[in-house]
Amino acid sequence: MATSDDFTARLMNDMDPDLLDFVKTKVNTFIKWDLVRFFHENPNTADTVENIARYAGRNVTAVEPELNELVESGVMEIRHLDEIPVYSLTTDESMRRIVGEFIRACEDRHFRVKAVYHIIRGMR
Amino acid sequence: MQRVKTGIKGLDEMLHGGFLPQTANLVEGAPGTGKTTLGMQFIYNGITLYDEPGIILTFEEFPQQYYRDAAAFGWDFKALEREGRLKVIMTSPEVGRLDLEQVGGMIETLTNEMGARRILVDSLSHLEKLTDDPVELRAIQYSFINALKREGLTAVLTKESPALLGAAESEESIAFVVDSYILLRYVEIESAIHKALLVLKLRGSDHAKDIRQFEITSGGIEVQAKFEGREGIMSGSPRLSMADSFVRAFVKKEKP
Repeated sequence: MATSDDFTARLMNDMDPDLLDFVKTKVNTFIKWDLVRFFHENPNTADTVENIARYAGRNVTAVEPELNELVESGVMEIRHLDEIPVYSLTTDESMRRIVGEFIRACEDRHFRVKAVYHIIRGMR
Repeated sequence: MQRVKTGIKGLDEMLHGGFLPQTANLVEGAPGTGKTTLGMQFIYNGITLYDEPGIILTFEEFPQQYYRDAAAFGWDFKALEREGRLKVIMTSPEVGRLDLEQVGGMIETLTNEMGARRILVDSLSHLEKLTDDPVELRAIQYSFINALKREGLTAVLTKESPALLGAAESEESIAFVVDSYILLRYVEIESAIHKALLVLKLRGSDHAKDIRQFEITSGGIEVQAKFEGREGIMSGSPRLSMADSFVRAFVKKEKP
């Protein structure tokens, strides 16, 4: 017998499969969401974790692991200048396209509710 | 002599045709005088009028601020970015400097890929964060400017002036490092604020020496006529010249 949790899960999974995967596996925290939005709006930004944290209005301790996870998942890139790590949005066109689709989808309240649901579930 | 035209009404005439190619051109002024607008207009006109792709390198303002400010003048920076003729890059002074020093850095790569010919650096003042030592700062500025020239770029570099009216007290060396130096100033005349522009230096070329009024219109900066009958314009509080004081005091005004 289907429970209300199953019904909610089905309802919340009702989005483009690529975006669902993006939310579940890449932008799976609120800090990553903020970072992805920032880099989408400012796509040619390249900077250190300290400066990116300042741009995002957060502390370095919170931002650094999130940035590194975004690098691992292919959303961001990292390179080293004199051993200083510098982060920027990936140059991969397909990833940039899905980032753009995610940000556009976030303009819809229903999509945002679903994304928030998945992020909170993923944080448990 | 070949010139890099700004396309800004009145300014190219003051520069006797425009900037010289592969030069560093400083635009100094107080907040709101129009430094960034002048720089954005230099980049936009370069792309749209002279087919010279451009880069905007910002050390503080977010690129989205440039997109918005440019749109207010009818300049679609986002479309130019999509066409690969413009890139608005945000980074910090330390990363920007290291990037330019490195072979195959982001700015060098973009310049080559886009065929960029112009750059706006907004603002050069942020390099001052890198050191407290004036000698080292001059070396950093010199190296940074040379790296831009190495890439074949003609640069507009903005510099913030802390004084709202009049000249700021300054002993900085940047004026010696750059090829041209344009000052933007607020001027108070009869309880109204006007804007003044002066080309202080243009290495390797003659230039207009007079102080011109300018306005920021819906289409960008327009340089107008020089200030007539006033002295001490760059002090911020000009006074009538002796001849004009005499005329105003003793010559009868015509009735309308």
